[in-house]
Amino acid sequence: MILFRNGNKTKTLNAFHIISLLEGFNLSSLFEEKKREEKEEIRFATTKSPETMVAKLESVATEMKFMVDKTGDESSLRMKRNKIGRKGRLGIMAEIWAVAPSLVVVEVKKSSGDTLEYNRFCSKQLRPALKDIVWTSGYESTPAGVVGCIN
Amino acid sequence: MVERRKHLFASLLHCCDLELYKQSRGLEDPEILARETVFSVSEIEALYELFKKISSAVIDDGLINKEEFQLALFKTNKKESLFADRVFDLFDTKHNGILGFEEFARALSVFHPNAPIDDKIEFSFQLYDLKQQGFIERQEVKQMVVATLAESGMNLSDDVIESIIDKTFEEADTKHDGKIDKEEWRSLVLRHPSLLKNMTLQYLKDITTTFPSFVFHSRVEDT
Repeated sequence: MILFRNGNKTKTLNAFHIISLLEGFNLSSLFEEKKREEKEEIRFATTKSPETMVAKLESVATEMKFMVDKTGDESSLRMKRNKIGRKGRLGIMAEIWAVAPSLVVVEVKKSSGDTLEYNRFCSKQLRPALKDIVWTSGYESTPAGVVGCIN
Repeated sequence: MVERRKHLFASLLHCCDLELYKQSRGLEDPEILARETVFSVSEIEALYELFKKISSAVIDDGLINKEEFQLALFKTNKKESLFADRVFDLFDTKHNGILGFEEFARALSVFHPNAPIDDKIEFSFQLYDLKQQGFIERQEVKQMVVATLAESGMNLSDDVIESIIDKTFEEADTKHDGKIDKEEWRSLVLRHPSLLKNMTLQYLKDITTTFPSFVFHSRVEDT
């Protein structure tokens, strides 16, 4: 598996990771009411390195008054909003996967708090902030979020 | 006497197949299913509520057909999916193109957080063994990767995909025969437990609250 500089081991995707972790095979929608497109998960690809992504997400988090918790493993980031919302503090988790040395997939999900607040946060603050680092090649944003198309 | 009447009734049904009639008869003995799966009796009953919901979506016959399964997964019956097909086939242990509650419950039992990891390893192996040859070949892996990326709205170049698969086989194919057999799959998964992430549905733990069942059993004991 790929090891990055400074021995920082980012999670690397083998083919089966891609198959099991991305949309392809997931039975949880049997239990969910909403269409998949409405689910609050953002997944995008970027050519920035994992370290750059972590730094970028941290700065976005701080700017938006989130407290970042880096006690987990090096390739995931947890953050909690400072102010208390409708269902407690909004919590976000970002996971960073290295597909290839210059190709990284980032997955952002809500980990706690109110879904409506999360959706609002995503559309009004998170997505605009990440716009410049998401890899796109002319594709429109899908309702699920901005996804990258790499060639 | 009762048996004969049942038989007559069955033959008067639209589907004259007695097997089919039995399969669609509903929740007869939750205790038996509870004993033979990881679910408790109340979880079986809750699961049955979900089953009723899914199986009545298109044809209200107490059975889930492929279309209803797709509807339940994608909220639309317009979506074809390699995985939905594979999963449906694995659930359909009777191989008659429809899922009765028993098949539904037994298959979902594997996805319970408390199910034995060996069951999850076995199920996932069979899932990925698209041609059911007893091993996973490179071409099957590529097919699944491409399908997954397409469903996610991501496009990777063929080169990148090939190199990902190369690295995967480098690690997984310890016997160097170009295929991944059950043993190799097992070791790969034990080294990378996150590969089984999609084999566990946390929802199943809360199923009694998500799908409350209003059946009361005075003699039920939840173990």
